[in-house]
Amino acid sequence: MLADIINPYFLQILSFILINILLAISVYVPLSSGQLSLGSAGFMGVGAYTSALLTIHFDIPLIIGILAGACVAGILGIIVGIPSLRLSGVYLAIATLGLGEVIRVIFVNWESLTKGSIGLTGIPQMGREILNFAKGFGFDPAMIGLKSNQFVYLVIVLILLLLVIATIWFVVRQQNSRVGRSLSSIQMDEKAAESMGINITYYKVLSFTQGAFLAGLAGALFAHVMGYISPSDFSYHRAVEILIFTVFGGSEVILGAVFGATFLTLVPEVLRFISDYRYIIYGIVLIILMAVRPQGIFDIHLLNRLKGLKRSKGGVR
Amino acid sequence: MVLKIQNVSKNFGGINALKDVTFSINEGEIYGLIGPNGAGKTTMFNLITNIFEPTSGEIIFNGENITALKSYKITEKGICRTYQNIRLFPQMSALKNVMVGGHCRSNAGVFSSVFRTKSQRKEEQELTKKAEELLELVGLLEFKDTFAENLAYGQQRRLEIARALASNPSLLLLDEPAAGMNEKETDSLYDLIKMVQSMGITVLIIEHDMPLVMKLCDRITVLNFGEKLAEGTPEEIQSNEAVIEAYLGKEEEEEIA
Repeated sequence: MLADIINPYFLQILSFILINILLAISVYVPLSSGQLSLGSAGFMGVGAYTSALLTIHFDIPLIIGILAGACVAGILGIIVGIPSLRLSGVYLAIATLGLGEVIRVIFVNWESLTKGSIGLTGIPQMGREILNFAKGFGFDPAMIGLKSNQFVYLVIVLILLLLVIATIWFVVRQQNSRVGRSLSSIQMDEKAAESMGINITYYKVLSFTQGAFLAGLAGALFAHVMGYISPSDFSYHRAVEILIFTVFGGSEVILGAVFGATFLTLVPEVLRFISDYRYIIYGIVLIILMAVRPQGIFDIHLLNRLKGLKRSKGGVR
Repeated sequence: MVLKIQNVSKNFGGINALKDVTFSINEGEIYGLIGPNGAGKTTMFNLITNIFEPTSGEIIFNGENITALKSYKITEKGICRTYQNIRLFPQMSALKNVMVGGHCRSNAGVFSSVFRTKSQRKEEQELTKKAEELLELVGLLEFKDTFAENLAYGQQRRLEIARALASNPSLLLLDEPAAGMNEKETDSLYDLIKMVQSMGITVLIIEHDMPLVMKLCDRITVLNFGEKLAEGTPEEIQSNEAVIEAYLGKEEEEEIA
């Protein structure tokens, strides 16, 4: 029976995995044009707070709140992206990390709006909203043999899964096109890309903004899955965690971001039975990987081999 | 007249990399830019493609002042270059490298790329076809799926030329294309550049391989210490006293140093 398999606890972990995949992709996209952004936690916070405040105070539909959250983060991405064009590599990473902290501090201190470090509670929960909506049409989860909370988490997972698939689809299609070629040429050699007629400014701001939008989207979804948010959800630790997802899985390919987010979200959960040691193991896994395979689990060469594509003569890099 | 360099100077922190250089290139010509190391040849390329702007002077391309135009706009206008130290996109296949060259002659944006609109698919097909033709022209079609970094040195140089040609330039700038090539490769490079000329593309070439330059170029400008030393046909250059001095060095060597 379906009802016996569906465990709300597993579904909730699954929904965290899916949100983390979105966050990992939000680092991956700017990185595909050579921009190392650590601002994802900040953009995530902007998306979360925007959508939460809009839905709490103005009673607007969730979908519009979530879209607004993503868009506000995206617009902030444009505003920040243009001046940060002058920075690259580590300098950009530090600047975006600083941006994230500034955003967090604003959440903490703008108490009249954000309730400070206590955070926002009573944010409409996505699954419950949909359940209530469906009930309006006379639907009852019992009709498909589910308890209410099973239905709630199942709906959330399905929505998130759909969004993750759509995002991956979008990014992959974009990559295998004129736009994607421009992004990777900028990543590989910015000067050469420009002298091939590529407007670097446009493409760099484009991918930075896409990353900000995605992080904002993930943040808004996070708010409506959790039901409560506080500034500490979007701290420096979160920024580093997101970066680790992408780097661990392999930052050259989108599969790396997806795998990294999935694996590293699961590890602490799977190791829950040895609660005291699990983050030690998490740390050891990271150290071993970085020592053995600094480019992450997946890279282009591995993918090509997996696809059985004919590999060029030259040696292995 | 395709390109006109007018009284161009470039000053790097008090050092004159180029001083009041003037020359112009006619349509369909192969024009040589030669001179000892450090004479300012590559600097001239960087000024033409606006990697940096000249301190003074003007660069006129097809009657239009392009001195302050952004790099990518200059490529759109029809000037494309190769680099002295090859700058391909290493982890991209040869075919994709050339397709990037076609960037400014195509215009699919994010929306049409993601949704694969009809015009986008047609454009991609045309880009691919053209890139394959160019790879064939430079003799690299069989390596189209090979990463650029895995190609042999001479092949990389030819790939860079194919990539530049993909932008449909009317003026092609080649920065030491024969560097590091053996005699056989140099011969096929000669054929390739002649072929490019026959396609109606004007060529400005920096090269140290004198036999190649003399055989290839219609006219030549010699730079020395940032100044124009001489200009003329290969025959005139070969018999020019000042040029011989600059290359072989006479008693004046101490004076210059």
